[in-house]
Amino acid sequence: MKVNLHPKESLLFNAFQLIFIIHSVQVGVGVVGLPKIVFLEAKHDAWIAVFFAGVLTSVILWFIIMMLRQYDSADLYGIHVDVFGKWLGNLLSFGYMIYLTACFFVIFMNYTEIVQVWIFPNLPTWQLAFILILLAVYAVHGGIRVIVGVSFLSVMGTLWIILVLFVPLRYADFTHIFPIMNVDIKHMLKGIQRTSLSIMGFELIMFVYPFVKEKHRTLLYVQIGNLFTTFTYTLVTFISIVFFAEDGLRKVIWPVISMLKIVRLPNLERFEFIAVSFWMLVILPNLCLYLWASSKGFSRIIKRTQKMGIWIIAIVAFGASFFIKARYQMNIVTDLIAKAGFYAAFCYPVVLSIIVYLKKWLLRRKKSHVKST
Amino acid sequence: MSNRLKWKMLSVLFSCVMLISGCVEKKQLEKLGLSTAVGYDLEKENHIRGTVVIHKFDPLAKNLTEIITVEANTSKTLRQKQNLETDQKLVSGQLRCVIYSKELAERGIVQLVDALDRDPTIGNTVYLTVTDGKASTIMNMDKENQKIDLGTYLYNLIKQNVESEQLILPTLFEFNHRYNDHGKDPVLPILKLKNGNVILSGVALFQDDRAVAELKGDNIFYLKILSDKFKSGTHEMGFDRSKFKKLIMNQEGNAFRTVYKKLYLNIDNIRSHTKIKLVDKKNLRFKVAIKIQSRLLEATEPLDLAKPANIEYIEKVVGKEMEKEIKKLLIYFQKNKVDPIGIGNEYIAHNRGKMLTKKEWRDKYKDVKFDVHVQNTIVKSGVID
Repeated sequence: MKVNLHPKESLLFNAFQLIFIIHSVQVGVGVVGLPKIVFLEAKHDAWIAVFFAGVLTSVILWFIIMMLRQYDSADLYGIHVDVFGKWLGNLLSFGYMIYLTACFFVIFMNYTEIVQVWIFPNLPTWQLAFILILLAVYAVHGGIRVIVGVSFLSVMGTLWIILVLFVPLRYADFTHIFPIMNVDIKHMLKGIQRTSLSIMGFELIMFVYPFVKEKHRTLLYVQIGNLFTTFTYTLVTFISIVFFAEDGLRKVIWPVISMLKIVRLPNLERFEFIAVSFWMLVILPNLCLYLWASSKGFSRIIKRTQKMGIWIIAIVAFGASFFIKARYQMNIVTDLIAKAGFYAAFCYPVVLSIIVYLKKWLLRRKKSHVKST
Repeated sequence: MSNRLKWKMLSVLFSCVMLISGCVEKKQLEKLGLSTAVGYDLEKENHIRGTVVIHKFDPLAKNLTEIITVEANTSKTLRQKQNLETDQKLVSGQLRCVIYSKELAERGIVQLVDALDRDPTIGNTVYLTVTDGKASTIMNMDKENQKIDLGTYLYNLIKQNVESEQLILPTLFEFNHRYNDHGKDPVLPILKLKNGNVILSGVALFQDDRAVAELKGDNIFYLKILSDKFKSGTHEMGFDRSKFKKLIMNQEGNAFRTVYKKLYLNIDNIRSHTKIKLVDKKNLRFKVAIKIQSRLLEATEPLDLAKPANIEYIEKVVGKEMEKEIKKLLIYFQKNKVDPIGIGNEYIAHNRGKMLTKKEWRDKYKDVKFDVHVQNTIVKSGVID
């Protein structure tokens, strides 16, 4: 397998579109429950924890881009082979593929659950799952450029929801955020860790990197995308804290949707129905990118077509959806993926980039050594 | 992707969307009974009685509302039983108003509120109220002559009064917020029957989820001033006439008889701003600073308002009187162990370390001392001097 991937010129996309890719892949089903999950650990300082998580993500992105710059045009599958050799490298790649597939699974399952609770209590899981998977498969069939288009549409089409979030501010009680920085370091760190499920997704830059046209500008646009996510998340968490009472936030499952219940338009009493429906647009690029990245492994590792990979993953994920029946099971799976995501997206890229650095550094030293002698 | 495959995929997708959308439960408006108001009474031990007002969409029916009363243990069983007594499927998406009987409110209503909160079909802006007597009597009043259904009537009654700032917003959200906050207690309006009409007679003060005290008339004005920024509301105050001797205009020639023994002033609040500040953490001393800009609407005796000194004098006297009343009200809250203003929130916000629980705050609350300062400015006095 070649380490570097050189796609055709017609498959490349502009670097600035990374803003939309990174932002849209980070914002997904996680953010709907984010304020509550972080609040459980970091209490009313949750918004600070979320902000720090965003800063941490930006540091990790720097690590990732620095690692990718060591190569000409490689993705994670290629780097694995280059660093660890054929067998171990592919094994790690395979592990990462399973992680990506699991993310894909968790995203559509969580969304299905939200729809079932809020709009259609009698809707069987497989129906909505079927539609979502089919939609993702259809988009991924179009290739990376179509997916970039989907993420652009998704970000632009849902940007206005941020404005709606200012309506709950009218009912806010700002005493809730005081005293600022009241929790200890341990809970703050736990809060940062709990943010991982919502903020992960940026690791997919390791897969789309070969398809970026101006590679030297990747870092800038990736950071802008992440900055935007950090800002949105901090805002959402902040508003949730001032909007809900302490015990109230602890009780709700999806604070963001519960919060939108207060919004009332003249002809539309229940805004959350619109929000839940629009959320499909938010999660669609997530589904597409995860499906694309994991199916890419089929063509990279075992030299089959990516299309076959797409269908295999889709069928496996659809089959798995029948095994989850109740909310608590979904909780267990989501927590598991959140934990896996913390290691796969936050810790692993840093470790890998340090290894890559060391390897390159050793190689260079050896070379210069050879030259000098 | 080839063009043919694209079309194939599209048609598959399209047919899926068309077919699967048929699986969703149908809800035709003519076949639905929209419950607009729900009332709960405590029937006996372990039993609640639920009354529901249903709005119908039937062009043939004369009376558009229907009232059903049943008994059960939980509110959802009530709905099931109510469903047995009507030809239309009951849905609660248009629920506007919930009434709890006082008896029930005194025992605690949080489980019933929780059931509302848990149901995604019920909005967050449903009004919660308490009634003096039984909820079913209010809902059954004057069944035949009702022009609009009771739920909408109650909704407008409360909405109108909230908008003219006579009431604190009694929505489901606000109740939950206050109930779940460690340093704040809920407040709900009290409904009463008067001459065959439902009126608002006061507000019920809650300790957690139990109604323990009641506020009437003037005190609601002060409660409103204390709890948030406030833009309207008139208030009447009585004073000894001797206090105003200097100000009373000499009526040359015109005979002027006093109707009352006291002198009454009517003050209209234009805007007020309240700041509650913890000044002494150890001794739990709070400073309540209120700035009111008001308008003199009415005085029962002719006062000489042309002189600025006189206006200043009235400002001072009125301010002092308000201070006294507000202090009395705060002590009343303390005595009943209710905190509708959110003094606890203020305390918790300035206290680092472990968060206070609700109970811990209640223990502390009885030792709280208040310094009340009212700065009253009369900015207008009508079109005449």
